[in-house]
Amino acid sequence: MTARSDPPVPLDRTKRPAALPLPRVILPPVEKGELSSGLPVRLVEQHRNAQVVISIVLQSGASMDPRGKSGTASLTAALLDAGTGSRDALEISESVEFIGASLNFNAGADATFGTLLTLSRHLGRGIALFADALSNPSFPLQEFERLRSQRLTSLVALKDRAASVASRAFMRVIYGEEHPYGKDPSGTEESVGGLSRDDICGFYGDHYIPANATLIVVGDTTMAEILPILEAELGDWRGGPGRAAAAVSPPPAAPASVYLIDRPDAPQSEIRIGSPALARNSADYFPATVMNRVLGGQFSSRINMNLREKRGLTYGARSSFAFMKQAGPFIVSGGFTGAKTGEAAGQLLLEIDAMHREGVTDEELEFSRKGLIGGFALSFETPYQMAGALQSLILYGLPDDYYERYIPNLASVTSADVMRVARSMLDGRGMALLVVADANGTREGLESLGRGDVVMLDTSGSPMRVSV
Amino acid sequence: MSGVKALTYEQFLLANGLTVVLHHDGTSPVAAVMVMYHAGSRNEVPGRTGLAHLFEHLMFKGSEHVPDGEHFRLLQEIGAVVNGSTSEDRTNYYEVVPSNYLELALSLESDRMGFLPGAVDQAKLDNQRDVVKNERRQNYDNVPYGTAYETIAREVFGPGHPYSWPVIGSMEDLSAASLEDVKAFFRKYYAPNNACIAVAGDFERNQVMDWIGKYFGPLPRGSSLAKSALFPAELPEERHLVSEENVQLPRLFLTWPGPPRGTRDDALLDVLTTILSSGKNSRLYRPLVFEKKIAQGVTAYTEGKEIAGTVTIDVSAKPDGDLGEIEECLHDVIERVFTDGVTDREIEAAFNGKEAQHTGRLTTALGIASGLATSFTLSGDAENFNRDIERFRGITPDEVLSAGRRVFSSHHVTLNIVPRGKSSLASPATTRNSAHTGTPAPHTAAGTP
Repeated sequence: MTARSDPPVPLDRTKRPAALPLPRVILPPVEKGELSSGLPVRLVEQHRNAQVVISIVLQSGASMDPRGKSGTASLTAALLDAGTGSRDALEISESVEFIGASLNFNAGADATFGTLLTLSRHLGRGIALFADALSNPSFPLQEFERLRSQRLTSLVALKDRAASVASRAFMRVIYGEEHPYGKDPSGTEESVGGLSRDDICGFYGDHYIPANATLIVVGDTTMAEILPILEAELGDWRGGPGRAAAAVSPPPAAPASVYLIDRPDAPQSEIRIGSPALARNSADYFPATVMNRVLGGQFSSRINMNLREKRGLTYGARSSFAFMKQAGPFIVSGGFTGAKTGEAAGQLLLEIDAMHREGVTDEELEFSRKGLIGGFALSFETPYQMAGALQSLILYGLPDDYYERYIPNLASVTSADVMRVARSMLDGRGMALLVVADANGTREGLESLGRGDVVMLDTSGSPMRVSV
Repeated sequence: MSGVKALTYEQFLLANGLTVVLHHDGTSPVAAVMVMYHAGSRNEVPGRTGLAHLFEHLMFKGSEHVPDGEHFRLLQEIGAVVNGSTSEDRTNYYEVVPSNYLELALSLESDRMGFLPGAVDQAKLDNQRDVVKNERRQNYDNVPYGTAYETIAREVFGPGHPYSWPVIGSMEDLSAASLEDVKAFFRKYYAPNNACIAVAGDFERNQVMDWIGKYFGPLPRGSSLAKSALFPAELPEERHLVSEENVQLPRLFLTWPGPPRGTRDDALLDVLTTILSSGKNSRLYRPLVFEKKIAQGVTAYTEGKEIAGTVTIDVSAKPDGDLGEIEECLHDVIERVFTDGVTDREIEAAFNGKEAQHTGRLTTALGIASGLATSFTLSGDAENFNRDIERFRGITPDEVLSAGRRVFSSHHVTLNIVPRGKSSLASPATTRNSAHTGTPAPHTAAGTP
């Protein structure tokens, strides 16, 4: 125990301390291996804690759901650990619990992920369970029916959540029903209700093949230790016939209009504004990210400072680019005081428009680049973070040296780059505005925005026929 | 048996009473600063609920040497993770920074610890009051079942208990909070001797100690605060509530008074609730969700806080599901646990889960700083962070059952939340008490370890 005394010189607290030199982010090497089936393995060692993450990335997600059968990829993933050739659902669950591991399979729009997190002392048992579920699922009919029923119930329960209703309906509005991004990966009551066990087996056979997958390992292990274990458990996995076809997508709909989903007595209004924007591998990723950090990508962004800190209309408002395999959306979002919905929507549109017309100042540019570079240093602390970074490389086809070049790429973004992206991506006139709110008391404010008539939607985002 | 390494750290005390805990780890160029004040919503008085949390918001609006907006601006400019949170027992503020900016984080924390009141004015208070009201709408009022925990806390702890009101506060009390209330709260609770600063990550030890001395050393000690006594909840009778809300699924909450945090009983009940609801094969999940398919999900957990705790079982029904049937099944299961016992394998599984969870907390600088600061603040000893996992060793089935009986034999709160117009789905008001079978329980005051 040491008691410290006052410093001899009075401290000038208005002076900010100077930073020490920026620490170099030393990225550990990514080692490459391969199983005899051709399944590629990528490994990063992290020995700080005695745990390991094993993750498989499958290049097929809900975008590959057959027409009218949305929810197939997601339910297929959820069923992998619900019974295999050698273990039933209860045994798998009990075995995972017993070693204190977590095992999870899920499908997003672009990909399916399977992830095991285990203490390294249970590594062998964990991998055996992971591999069994991935390569040997039996899709028992009873389990299929149970999980489908649970999914249907979740889809019903989701209607209670204004934020979820808004986000799902917004994707449908800006991409249209026919585009893969217009449907939520979890499906709809109608589509999930129509799924059969054959649909699940079919999807598994078409997409779960080594040629469509990469295995990622991060944590307290080495290639020499892990490869033989993986080979023993997964080396024989060849998968089904593998008739995976590329997703065919019509152009997104992107209608510019105002949509309202009525939620009687809602104390707050959920607002979404945006349009389809950029793919993850776009050359504009860096300028768009730098721009978004100024507009709504952090607490001190223009949108949050105006709507929260100046006006007190929200607990938090933000904007983001969801970079995906195809052009993902740009979305401005938040929940706002119900009585001031029109004011909030109007201010958000003004912020988008100001960025679209004027871009960022030199000071904002520097502030944003510096923050993103600092944040990069914090991005590889845990095995999950590292595994996520590797997943992105694989899923979006980014080059091996992507993270080595990340900081130089950010640092070279100019205000002209930002201006170009703001001009092409942030035209508010082409964006949709969707609100989940008590129509009684908010509709008038939305009509007065001068963006045309308000289109009423039901909770799924389908137009309603309403008499005004 | 365990692969968890005990965390090494240094602890020292400044002359003004500030406790400092340092954990060095240079594997990532990251440093986390966690400042924790031993003040939370339980230090409020009825009529001014929500003050501790509203105060937390004002801590981000500038202090005497840091203009409004600067705190976030300076930290976000360097890519830091920045936030704070308020619970019943404590309030925390943290930054995760690239390690070369550690001094900046320390200087900012010291300024708001020492120099806040001069920078707070009515305009800031009014603005953050509106923000917090929106936080309440966002996270409670506009969310299904969002006010359930508020109702349960009110019922289980009873009038006047410091855990009986919600951390977020009520809209009325938020409106009533004055500038003087806010400043008085600061003067009373935000003093170095009522705080702990934990720093974890990549730093040079002597340099950090110098910085802490330089920035925090001159801050004056505040008045001493009395140590809080345990205050277990005790329900004089069963409480049965039915609430019709805008929800799709009926949901049943059963809450019993339970032990405070850090106790052996808290660990034993953690094991028991894990056995009850963790995994498809668990005692409650398997019959309710897997076999009878009358529930969408079930979770049981113990929530030990500083001066009291609760144990809760929370079941979501299928659409139009009968909560009475679910409650019957649930009590049958608990009775069977007490007659048949729990197995060594179930206890070992619960231990393995705890070990994985503890390892997870050791994965980030923030998790480590948070664990050390929390243990020091709420138990008076940072070493309890290392001991946490030890509480789960050597547990026997009999101990688990005894702890369970102590809780489940007491009166409890039953909250039914049903869709509007469907009160017939609620459980009946007459309640069974599942711990009354099997070996009679010693009737001790609930929650006393």
